[in-house]
Amino acid sequence: MRKLWVVAYYTAVESIRNKVFYITLLFALVVISSSIIFSQISGEVAGRVIVDVGLGAIELFALLIAIFGVVRLIVQEIENRTISVVLSKPIKRSTYLLGKYIGISGIIFLNILIMFSGLVILLFIKGEEIILSPLILAVSFIFLKMLLIMAIGLFFSLFSTSSISTIAVTFMIWVLGHFSNEIKFLSEGMTMFLSKFLMRGLYYILPNFQYFNFKDFLECSFLFSGTNIFLVIIYAVTYSVILICFSIFLFSRREV
Amino acid sequence: MGIIRIENVRKIYIRKSLWNAQKKIALENLNLDITEKGVFGLLGLNGSGKTTTIKLLLGLVFADSGNLFIFDEKIPNLEIRKKIGYLPEASYFFKYLTAKELLFFYAELSFLSGKEKQKRVEYVLEFVGLKEAEKVRLADFSKGMLQRIAMAQALLSNPDLLLLDEPTGGLDPVGIRKMRELILRLRDEGKTVFFSSHFISEVEKVCKYVGILHKGKLKKTLEVSALNGKLEDIFIQTISE
Repeated sequence: MRKLWVVAYYTAVESIRNKVFYITLLFALVVISSSIIFSQISGEVAGRVIVDVGLGAIELFALLIAIFGVVRLIVQEIENRTISVVLSKPIKRSTYLLGKYIGISGIIFLNILIMFSGLVILLFIKGEEIILSPLILAVSFIFLKMLLIMAIGLFFSLFSTSSISTIAVTFMIWVLGHFSNEIKFLSEGMTMFLSKFLMRGLYYILPNFQYFNFKDFLECSFLFSGTNIFLVIIYAVTYSVILICFSIFLFSRREV
Repeated sequence: MGIIRIENVRKIYIRKSLWNAQKKIALENLNLDITEKGVFGLLGLNGSGKTTTIKLLLGLVFADSGNLFIFDEKIPNLEIRKKIGYLPEASYFFKYLTAKELLFFYAELSFLSGKEKQKRVEYVLEFVGLKEAEKVRLADFSKGMLQRIAMAQALLSNPDLLLLDEPTGGLDPVGIRKMRELILRLRDEGKTVFFSSHFISEVEKVCKYVGILHKGKLKKTLEVSALNGKLEDIFIQTISE
């Protein structure tokens, strides 16, 4: 158990010292601040515009860190051979993989926290009304989404031999995962058995990222009951755990 | 007690593309038995299977057939790895960590406890001559320094067996000499050093026994002291057969 936290800790330290971390964070804060410009032309809904642009930026930059972080996790470590020394030590491959996942998750959490703080400060400066609970719920769901996309990226990185293909596939799933309902709708309209079957399969296999888009319903947050929230958490955790288990199995057979 | 035993090992790499799969035999029916402490050199051209042999011993790649044993335990074996130190062919480490942080990380993975960890990290930094650079990030290390930090991490758990993959590769003459002195010091401390190289002169200088590996086959095993400096001729003759 100790080794798990050691790997997570050093993964986080490595990531924090990478210049990309600061540049991404700085850029995100600039984008969040730029929402002031949009709010100038938004009249009565200025606060809503700041929140929308801010949460959108948080999700976008968290996604970038998640995808690139997960690529660095395995593919790049194999490419630059840092992994061979680590796995020559008495550590289980599963511990290493989980430790890395936790480390990157910690970094994403820290990123989201800093970006969210930036957003709240901005709302405060602008004198907008701040209702924290739905905002916190929205960013928590963004974090859950990141945990899930990382698990997906991790899984595909174990098939892949290059960073680019892992990034491309993960991003593609990210996009498709936001159109689950449309995929279902399309499959219902199809008449050919095979295409209908494939579309249905895609609908059931792909994660439905719309479940996590609480940020789109901030104005009617009353629609979200405790049961709803609980179910979304269970969905993200179950999906992620299944993918991580598959990843551990694949990693145990992967030559480095 | 056996130190390293390799029985009928065969390893094939398969490179798959969309259209076909290319097979490359890396090792063919490899047999090796090392029972005596000291320095054993695995000599061979590039691509002869030296790195694959070491990676198989570490469980980083898996044999298609045959068995490998270290200290009479079948590998891969997590417990046995506590007794092994590994120096990779090229030293790539986490470049944003300092030398000391990197060693602490590996020490944690090697089951070293609090006081012992501190003691061993200090000792190996001193041993490889990097005490002055302990707070320097690896991104700022020269190639020679990276090779020495690689050696330091291999020695962390005070292993009985060291697997060194091309330890002098890419080093300047001073670096090569320092590495040679380190290997001989380890031998004098009673460790077994198994190292791969394509530098015949290095193998001659430090090894008691040498194995000649060519195209994945172990062609000969020789005692260096009995060769009277003719290892180069024997090597060339062996790989030409």
